Amino acid sequence: MTTATATREGRIEIAGLTKRFGGFTAVDDLSFDVEPGRITGFLGPNGAGKTTTLRMLLGLIRPTRGTATIGGRQYTTLSRPLSTVGAALEATNFHPGRSGRDHLRVLADTSGIPTSRVDELLELTGIPAAARKRAGGYSMGMRQRLGLAAALLGDPQVLVLDEPANGLDPEGIRWLRGFLRHLSEEGKTILVSSHLLREVEQTVDDVVIIANGRLVRAGTMADLRGTPGALVRTSDVAGLAGALRVADVTSTVQDDDSLVADTTDLRLVGDVALRAGLPIYGLTPRAADLEALFFELTEGTNRNLGEAAAPAERDAVTGEEGANE
Amino acid sequence: MIPAVRSELRKFFTTRLWWGMAIAVFVSAAGFAVLFGFVVDQGGQTGPGGGQLTGDDTQVANTIYTAGISVGYLLLLTIGILAIGAEFRHKTITATFLAVPNRTRAMLAKVLALVGIGVFYGVVSLVGSVAAGSVVLRVIDRPAFPSSAVGRTLALSLLVLALWALIGLGLGILIPNQVAALFIGVAVAWIVEPLLGVLLRIWEFSRENIAPYLPSSATNSTLDIVTQSPEEIRLDWWVGALTLGAYAVVLSALGIWLLSRKDVT
Repeated sequence: MTTATATREGRIEIAGLTKRFGGFTAVDDLSFDVEPGRITGFLGPNGAGKTTTLRMLLGLIRPTRGTATIGGRQYTTLSRPLSTVGAALEATNFHPGRSGRDHLRVLADTSGIPTSRVDELLELTGIPAAARKRAGGYSMGMRQRLGLAAALLGDPQVLVLDEPANGLDPEGIRWLRGFLRHLSEEGKTILVSSHLLREVEQTVDDVVIIANGRLVRAGTMADLRGTPGALVRTSDVAGLAGALRVADVTSTVQDDDSLVADTTDLRLVGDVALRAGLPIYGLTPRAADLEALFFELTEGTNRNLGEAAAPAERDAVTGEEGANE
Repeated sequence: MIPAVRSELRKFFTTRLWWGMAIAVFVSAAGFAVLFGFVVDQGGQTGPGGGQLTGDDTQVANTIYTAGISVGYLLLLTIGILAIGAEFRHKTITATFLAVPNRTRAMLAKVLALVGIGVFYGVVSLVGSVAAGSVVLRVIDRPAFPSSAVGRTLALSLLVLALWALIGLGLGILIPNQVAALFIGVAVAWIVEPLLGVLLRIWEFSRENIAPYLPSSATNSTLDIVTQSPEEIRLDWWVGALTLGAYAVVLSALGIWLLSRKDVT
């Protein structure tokens, strides 16, 4: 994943990135890459260092150590920044007395982008009329759409979006998902941060998960999900496991006396059980429990919980989820 | 650079601040011109500070035409503070630096835009003060344009307003909380500085070498208006202008330098 890519264009490379604020290490020796043509989810609980990382990538915060580059260049050295990287960092960053359209025109001016492009984007993000009102009265969804329009002004190759689904209604989230998919199919590099895996689960191709400023997991969504299986409940798990093995299906016995067969073919499992003469109490397809996995990866040692809460949290996690890793 | 300046100008003229300020500048310029005109006419002996108004025809004309300028430069100080304070407060500074990642350049664009804005309000102020003031001067039987030096003062009032806007910019960066910056800026210019001026005039040395170089005194010297107190020392207009320019350059340069190193969170 990290080597042998012919072109660096549109590729985000984070290498050894570290940021200390006084004695607090917000981001700790973080390294990962983001590939063009894919949507990458940048995940972690609140306070994990996502926003700090994105702000370092965009030249807003000076790293203590390490580098963050886009197409091999630091953001501050880009000659046409808006046409290279589009960023939407926080949905609340508008002057309440200025209309959304004027906000975009102010940004467009810096790069010689015409007003016609501004109107085109307002049309595209579905807020052409509302954007003529002053931004003070905008809903969260409006702000998100306006932020997205701002990011797209220069038709950039790379998009960096911080919590873009925050505050969107289900309809808005669906719209965003389709929109990002469309953009990634054009070959754009898209990095989307979120503190909710479930929120981006259906949107992203790759994931980068951080906790306490450190990388916990980077890979494809498919890798994270693992192989899907079938969850079976029966009277004799060992007997059914043996019968499945004969039918060339491996399986594992769970703690709660259920069985997970490594197949998606529920009929096959049912037929095998029938032939073995075992009753079936339950048979369901089983995907990896991403939510539980995410918690296990990130919440176990959350620095924000403080000393007292941390041990209890750890017990709960290791006690319950130990079998997963 | 030109696109960035255009962006800054659009930023300024797309909120309601600018026309509110334009009205305030115009009204204060015209209003104070009329007020001062009649003060001068009332025997010309007691000024608003309680001291004596002394000056020739040119100084009287200058005073009337720039009577509103002490309110005007405070408004420009406010504009300068808000030009950066509002960006901190509403966090639009993030968008500004994303669009122009070279921060020195982004801030120089703000400086150039503020100079333009200062000149713009200077013109607004002059339209108000010259229209009202020339009528008043005629009414009190003084020449409306006694000498060419009046033209110089009118031109310099544009410069003065631009420089105060830059002082505001520097102050707004150094004190990132815009309410605190406004409070401190106005308090220093209107309360601390006059008190300090009085205090400094007690000693011969500070009266001659420090008091005239305070920002408001330097402004008055630049515009060559009547003195309110015989003890007040006036600098040559160009020394005053250079002094005020030094405040503007030092404060805004210091602010820009600090901001270029700061983490924007």
